[in-house]
Amino acid sequence: MDLQVFREQLFTEGEKLGFSDLEIYYEKLSSFGCQIYEGEIDDYRSSTVNGVSARGIINGKMGEAFTEKLDDASVSFLLHNMIENANISEDEPGELFDGKAEYEDLNFFSPTLSEVTIEEKIEFLKQVEKHIYDYDPRVVQTGYAAIQDQLIEKALFNNKGLELNDKNNFLFFVFSVVVKENDETKSDYYFKIVDDFSSVDPRHIAKEACEKSLRLLGGKSYPNKSYPVILESNTACELLAVFTPAFSAKSVQDDQSRLKDKLNTTITADVLTLQDNPHLTNGIRSSTFDSEGVPTKPLTVVENGVLKTYFHNLKTAKKDGVKSTGHGHKLSYRDPIGVRPSNFYVVPSEVSKEELYSDLKEGIIITSLSGLHSGANSISGDFSLAAEGFYVKNGKIASPTNKMTIAGNFFDLLKDVEKVASDLEFSPMDFYGYIGSPSLKIKELAVTID
Amino acid sequence: MLSKALLEDVLTQALTTGGDFSEVFVEDRFTNLMRLQSSKLEGSLSGRDFGVGIRVFKGLNSVYAYTNDATKEGLLEAANAAAQAIQGATSENTIVLPYEKQLINSVHPIELMPNSVEKMRKLQVLRNADDIVRNYHSSISQAIIALVEEEQNVLIANSEGTYVEDKRVRSRLAINAIAANEHDMQDGFYGPGRHQGFEYIENLDLNHYAKEAARMAVTMLNAEPAPSGKFPVIIDNEFGGVIFHEACGHGLEAASVAKNNSVFANKIGEKVASDLVTYIDDGTITNEWGSINIDDEGEKARKNVLIENGILKGYLIDKFNARRMNSESTGSGRRESYKFAPTSRMTNTYIAPGTSTPEEIISNTEHGIYAKYLGGGQVNPVTGDYNFAVLEAYLVKNGKIDKPLRGATLIGNGAKTIQKVDMVGNNLGHGAGMCGASSGSIPVNVGQPMVRISEITVGGTGANN
Repeated sequence: MDLQVFREQLFTEGEKLGFSDLEIYYEKLSSFGCQIYEGEIDDYRSSTVNGVSARGIINGKMGEAFTEKLDDASVSFLLHNMIENANISEDEPGELFDGKAEYEDLNFFSPTLSEVTIEEKIEFLKQVEKHIYDYDPRVVQTGYAAIQDQLIEKALFNNKGLELNDKNNFLFFVFSVVVKENDETKSDYYFKIVDDFSSVDPRHIAKEACEKSLRLLGGKSYPNKSYPVILESNTACELLAVFTPAFSAKSVQDDQSRLKDKLNTTITADVLTLQDNPHLTNGIRSSTFDSEGVPTKPLTVVENGVLKTYFHNLKTAKKDGVKSTGHGHKLSYRDPIGVRPSNFYVVPSEVSKEELYSDLKEGIIITSLSGLHSGANSISGDFSLAAEGFYVKNGKIASPTNKMTIAGNFFDLLKDVEKVASDLEFSPMDFYGYIGSPSLKIKELAVTID
Repeated sequence: MLSKALLEDVLTQALTTGGDFSEVFVEDRFTNLMRLQSSKLEGSLSGRDFGVGIRVFKGLNSVYAYTNDATKEGLLEAANAAAQAIQGATSENTIVLPYEKQLINSVHPIELMPNSVEKMRKLQVLRNADDIVRNYHSSISQAIIALVEEEQNVLIANSEGTYVEDKRVRSRLAINAIAANEHDMQDGFYGPGRHQGFEYIENLDLNHYAKEAARMAVTMLNAEPAPSGKFPVIIDNEFGGVIFHEACGHGLEAASVAKNNSVFANKIGEKVASDLVTYIDDGTITNEWGSINIDDEGEKARKNVLIENGILKGYLIDKFNARRMNSESTGSGRRESYKFAPTSRMTNTYIAPGTSTPEEIISNTEHGIYAKYLGGGQVNPVTGDYNFAVLEAYLVKNGKIDKPLRGATLIGNGAKTIQKVDMVGNNLGHGAGMCGASSGSIPVNVGQPMVRISEITVGGTGANN
């Protein structure tokens, strides 16, 4: 069934059943992904999936349901479940956005990206893989050579006439290179999101991917203690990503954030400024409206160490007596409205990454983290994570280290940031939003080296 | 869900460019999520997923396309998109499916289908769990109780004549307790789940599960930072088995073995673990969380012995990797939904029970760490290096459980850790979890009796040892 017909049918039948307000959030995802292994296509997938989530207010209460099948049966399935979910809801009276607002006229869709052919993408992977094998005799194999593009089309309609549309596309590739010397095997990931495919150079990408793994060979053991630590940009943003829920007004109101009662107080070192910019041209979470239809705008969350605001959706804003900041984002039509950042990042400085450790007598550089979904407690801020990286002696990298764990508390770490570099990067994990950071120098962290 | 004639057309269309195997996976899934927070029902969401995945093989090439446009045109277009990626001679083989669909005799009986039970009745269970958590101790500041239910209907047909339908019903209660004092917050979690209907949820022993979650949060609030260093580590039963799930299970999946990416590749018949270790993956255990009737490629579930008394016996194999390995499927092809191509995955995986009592294991440990509940973990399948969070840990001193410890992480190498198992208890238990990998997030059980490992590196925030 066509979306237009589906939505008219849902609104008409819903109003007959007693719904005062009705809203449909629609999302269509088209994607192509491919993986190469030793010159052969190892994985190839193409997809088109759409779905709607419907919300409605009946007897002052809100009910919600979703479906991926747009047919007559789904109209009754949605309405039946919306009524039942509204009936048992114990939430405050729900509110749908009336849409009386100004929306920015911005475009996040790159036509040139959508014109890259499947053949070009496969050829690109094959070339990079070949350059990886040619780069160094210590390269054993590519653990992963993959490319994926995605087109997201979103729309929001309500029964009062609101109609919003947005689309965003991006393309990313990931290479992991396994290297071996003597009995030591190492591998690391190289990940990049681009919105201009014509400028990518397979040879250069192969070199960077290989160097990321090769530099880890030759690990040594060093004493277990607290060291000054440099978090390379990719690790700094992964860590920030896990703790972004603390900035959500929902977590604050639910007593699940250590940032409760901290508005307009200093929560980080004054070298840190954190911004959320939903209008970044190449941000994968860029959009002119959130999943509730509220217009989005750039927001300074932490300014020189001072917490200026939480992220709000309509519900949390009402509770705090403020306006929604336009962060009522859904992960997809399958999820309820949450509170999530869009493109959220630490504002970079002018200082190079190397300058972060050039004056260090002794320190550790962290190049990758693992165990983030289990070893970090987003509520308490405590983390204990497996890590890889380097030992720094007299301002220079002395050698890679053996396997490490780093442990500490995220909220203490924010206060211990001494320097911010210029190399802003974004994390490939976008569950919490699209999160970015440059490399950061931390005063000290507990490091255990195997 | 789709007519036989349409399935045959799609399977045929997918092979027009020379593919040698085609498969259609149709899924119609109803989910229901209820979430109680601050003693109020905050979220109640119901939904229906529906879509079709089409897969084509040619030799060692595999192509996957999925869509939820289930019209004839939509499906043929998706089949065509998949076929276009195969470069072979055009062929005109017409696929004809068996006359009758194969009926699955479910070995996992369901009494109360989730959609047949009123949500008010479900809410009562959430409230009971909430009461137990909140009444446990004055430091409990929050309780979040969630009920997750799903009914997944699948139809699988392939060019080899598989034509089968199955219904999977799963229910899980996730209990999260948060304890706080003026400068700290800690949480406790227990998430029992089964391949079963609402009868499982209604009959759950909440006094055990909800109390344990609360006790964990309160205990951790008063715990000292864990030390760092190398220790003998005792890991308790049930969800403790997650360590072997990460440390060995993933390395035994054909997805890593087929490409020689695993430390266990080419080692069948060799000794890879301590004599005390027998490791089994069994999808047939009645109504367990990770159990299945058939896998997501239509193969019957079975019991696969992976390691027996330390000797490597077998791997977990799906149809595609079976080609690379010149082997047969072991009923291990699983996927989250039609949005994922299946690959080899675990079901209910566990260490078989040994002979020691838990008391013996603890009293035989002079100085070590007792990990009562583990959180999630992660492994690099290439190197076998893993890491885990311990949710609730204790110091063991002179054969006795001493003070509680927080913030402990276990790090090590899977292939080495299973050689260091030096005591195995007699109290086998299973714990429910979600496992994420290339074919998505799927329900699996991890299990073990209490196990002692002679040495693991513990990373903590406390003083170094």
